[in-house]
Amino acid sequence: MNVLSCSMNTLRGLYDISGVEVGQHFYWQIGGFQVHAQVLITSWVVIAILLGSAFIAVRNPQTVPTATQNFFEYVLEFIRDVSKTQIGEEYGPWVPFIGTLFLFIFVSNWSGALLPWKIIELPHGELAAPTNDINTTVALALLTSIAYFYAGLSKKGLGYFSKYIQPTPILLPINILEDFTKPLSLSFRLFGNILADELVVVVLVSLVPLVVPIPVMFLGLFTSGIQALIFATLAAAYIGESMEGHH
Amino acid sequence: MKNVTDSFVSLVNWPFAGSFGLNTDILATNPINLSVVLGVLIFFGKGVLSDLLDNRKLRILNSIRNSEELQRGAIERLEKARARLRKIEIEADQFRVNGYSEIEREKFNLINSTYKTLDQLENYKNETIHFEQQRAINQVRQRVFQQALQGALGTLNSCLNKELHLRTISANIGMFGAMKEITD
Repeated sequence: MNVLSCSMNTLRGLYDISGVEVGQHFYWQIGGFQVHAQVLITSWVVIAILLGSAFIAVRNPQTVPTATQNFFEYVLEFIRDVSKTQIGEEYGPWVPFIGTLFLFIFVSNWSGALLPWKIIELPHGELAAPTNDINTTVALALLTSIAYFYAGLSKKGLGYFSKYIQPTPILLPINILEDFTKPLSLSFRLFGNILADELVVVVLVSLVPLVVPIPVMFLGLFTSGIQALIFATLAAAYIGESMEGHH
Repeated sequence: MKNVTDSFVSLVNWPFAGSFGLNTDILATNPINLSVVLGVLIFFGKGVLSDLLDNRKLRILNSIRNSEELQRGAIERLEKARARLRKIEIEADQFRVNGYSEIEREKFNLINSTYKTLDQLENYKNETIHFEQQRAINQVRQRVFQQALQGALGTLNSCLNKELHLRTISANIGMFGAMKEITD
């Protein structure tokens, strides 16, 4: 009996330590679809942050920018730079798309790393960065796919499809495969990085609650920013590639 | 034993029930680490960011100042160019007026000289006509004189006989004698 109770205690301890929830979701039923409510909630918070800062930024525009306006102009300049270097001369119409991708992913990642989401307890699952969920990243990656198809088709018409047999027709299967691997790699890269970051932090917190997770959290912040930049840069590169074509 | 199985069951079947609430477990919700991270981020990020933003602001100010200076320079140059244009227009007007008067004078001179030439030509013509007339008159006169001489010669040849000859000689001798007496 002692042995049993001892083993039971060990199990309870293990259970407490392994109280890291992966794949646990808080579901809402919307029109016959099961949606991940925690992702929606955190997305709304992120969207609110972005819209609020956009509102603040454009509230009182000055010729010589004040501190806030200066900061947001700097962000915009950065995004324009990224789009310009990746897309080329006709980057203008794509700045809003690239900027939205970058800002949403960046603020999502950093909110996951910086906001104490876990203070709010959900009935099931827990709040985390929206990019922590594969659905968000797949949605973003598919948007990128649609964007670069649209860019190529609107620039070159049906001649866009000639790039599939461009070096030689032998590469046709690989070129077609690329259209599937692009969104796949985009979404899995972002999802995997963010999930791994948060998991590492959560596991470390559950093992050693204080001080030890801090370097990892900084690493997470760094990785989050890099991932947002990589996603935006790659999206811009794909768009630029489909507009420029092989020469 | 039942507890053990319960714990296994609870491992398998995740508790589903529950509602929104606040998790007050400080260690689990991790606010201390988060605040440290946030603090460090703000402490170091603020300096970098404010440097960056100040530089950007300075750059903007510089570019605005530069463009204002350029604008001022351009306006000055425009004013100068306008003044020069005005001066040149005035000069051009003067030149035009001068040119008109010059042309008028030239025209007048030309007309005068032409009149003079015309007069000279007229005189020359008249002289020529007069000369021609004189020459014609002289010719006519010569001709008439010649004819008169021939007539006289013919008359002399036809009328000259012995008696007339003698009479003339005696008359001439008498005349010469008279002349000799007078000289003596």
